[in-house]
Amino acid sequence: MKLIWKLLRQHLSIGQFVGFFFANLFGMLIVLLSLQFYEDIIPAFSGEDGVMKNTYMIVSKSISAASTLGGEAQAFTETDVREFEQQSFARRVGLFTASQYQVYGSLSMGGMGMGTDMFFESVPDDFVDSKWPEDFTAARAESLDLSSLNEVPIILPRSYLAIYNFGFAQTKNLPKLSEGVVSMIQLDLRLRGEGGVERSLKGRVVGFSTRLNTVLVPQAFMQASNKALAPASQAAPTRLIVEVNNPADDAIATFIQDHGYELEDNSLEAGRATYFLKVVAGIIMAVGLLISALSFYILMLSIYLLVQKNAEKLQNLRLIGYSPARISLPYQLLTIGMNALVLLLSFVLVFWIRGLYLERLWQMFPQLSEGAVTNTILLGFALFILVSFFNIIAIRRKINHL
Amino acid sequence: MNTITLHHTLPCVFAQRTDIHSDLWQHEVQLERGHLYLIEAASGTGKSSLCSYLIGYRNDYEGRIAFDERDIRTLRTFEWTCIRKHSLSYMFQELRLFPELTAWENVQIKNQLTGFKSETEINAYFEALGIAERRDTKVGRMSFGQQQRVALIRSLCQPFDFMLADEPVSHLDNANSEIMGELMMEEARRQGAGVIVTSIGHHMELPYEKVFKL
Repeated sequence: MKLIWKLLRQHLSIGQFVGFFFANLFGMLIVLLSLQFYEDIIPAFSGEDGVMKNTYMIVSKSISAASTLGGEAQAFTETDVREFEQQSFARRVGLFTASQYQVYGSLSMGGMGMGTDMFFESVPDDFVDSKWPEDFTAARAESLDLSSLNEVPIILPRSYLAIYNFGFAQTKNLPKLSEGVVSMIQLDLRLRGEGGVERSLKGRVVGFSTRLNTVLVPQAFMQASNKALAPASQAAPTRLIVEVNNPADDAIATFIQDHGYELEDNSLEAGRATYFLKVVAGIIMAVGLLISALSFYILMLSIYLLVQKNAEKLQNLRLIGYSPARISLPYQLLTIGMNALVLLLSFVLVFWIRGLYLERLWQMFPQLSEGAVTNTILLGFALFILVSFFNIIAIRRKINHL
Repeated sequence: MNTITLHHTLPCVFAQRTDIHSDLWQHEVQLERGHLYLIEAASGTGKSSLCSYLIGYRNDYEGRIAFDERDIRTLRTFEWTCIRKHSLSYMFQELRLFPELTAWENVQIKNQLTGFKSETEINAYFEALGIAERRDTKVGRMSFGQQQRVALIRSLCQPFDFMLADEPVSHLDNANSEIMGELMMEEARRQGAGVIVTSIGHHMELPYEKVFKL
């Protein structure tokens, strides 16, 4: 092997291999770094309600002066919903169900009492970005009996708590409440349905939602309570929650505008930012891959040139009984060695650079959790294996064809 | 491998010629293991072509060449590798040594592949052929005659059924050519192998059993 290498390293151009080495290094570095940066930054945009994975929009019909006066229907008909479901951008559509009875909620805290008329809404469980207690999931809907129920779980919009803490409590010198404290408070609820039927029960806040801007109760409870308290009225949905594939899809804006619908909250903005980030990361990664591909070409050309220059030696080795596999081996080991070195160095550089930008990111988003590095490492190894595999095949073919 | 057979073989370049008077071309010829043959050729009669066909380097011929009835056109790459390593030793006319390696390394590059000869045996060959002191000289700096001797040692470092020596002594004096002949025949006898020597004039004095005029 030593002798073979002594022979075959003749005409090896250091310049070309250094060129390949750096080209490959930059390509690999850009690919891995863009992925790692994407993984690290995306939690800052998505947060725990998972805008990144799923983007939700809440759609209602617009309310205009004319519709207010004319008493135009604000509810979505079955046809409207079906039409929505058929759109290519919509992954799934959920209906908001409103309570068909009156709700009066009151709260007593340290001798102070507050009470208000309120309402409930519900959406299908898998659209809720918080968990319902086990007994209230859709699967238990059948066994839910309103008459024996003492307590109902409620999910409030996270913004309500913010309004209370930073608006109301601040000005009235009331104590600020954390999410944990709120969940310990019990609400007294009085439900009043058709024909004066009344039910009293307790309400407990079990979670907060960033996605849904309403007082949410479990879908199972809503169905049971509507049935028990307002059997005659038909609940038509006035709002829809739609999970979309790609929030920046032009079709969404066009569809919404054409049908005179309105979008609530800015989930679309967050989604757009994520999408934009995805696109940018994708473009950078594509550039990295392109550089990697070009560096692969440089390496292949260098090896071809080397094989061509050493053609006579390789030929002679073949004629004295060396197999193509055996004489390909030194060049294959050379390329694998270089690729491995590039991979290792890329990892070192990626993690070094990551250390630098993570510090900055943490200054901007202190709660930001670190993204995973597994994907970057896997991608690095995948690229290494792919490139080395093609190198090995190409060298072997070239030598076979001598 | 026990036989090498040529069935009406003719190099493609001779296809148009009508004046071919050869003992080999366009004949049915069988070369057998354990025998000694001389192929005498004038320039341009296709000697180098014949050798290239037998080592699997070229196949631009008509007719058929077979090793033990196996048409050599059908041999696959790994089979050729095997034949060159274990069955057919070839001392090239153009030697095909590696000028950047020393005489010793040139022999070792073959012997490491086959593991056939011990260092002592190889040293003895260098001694016998009078090039012991040039052992560590780069082959590129040796005379052609010395290189021929290195090439012979290399060709002896493998098991073989046939030894094909293409003008092995073209640049050697009689004394050296006699030693080379002896070493070659000794190894061939030991292995029970056939020997095919080619020459265009000056050739080893050996007890040839059959002489072909190409």
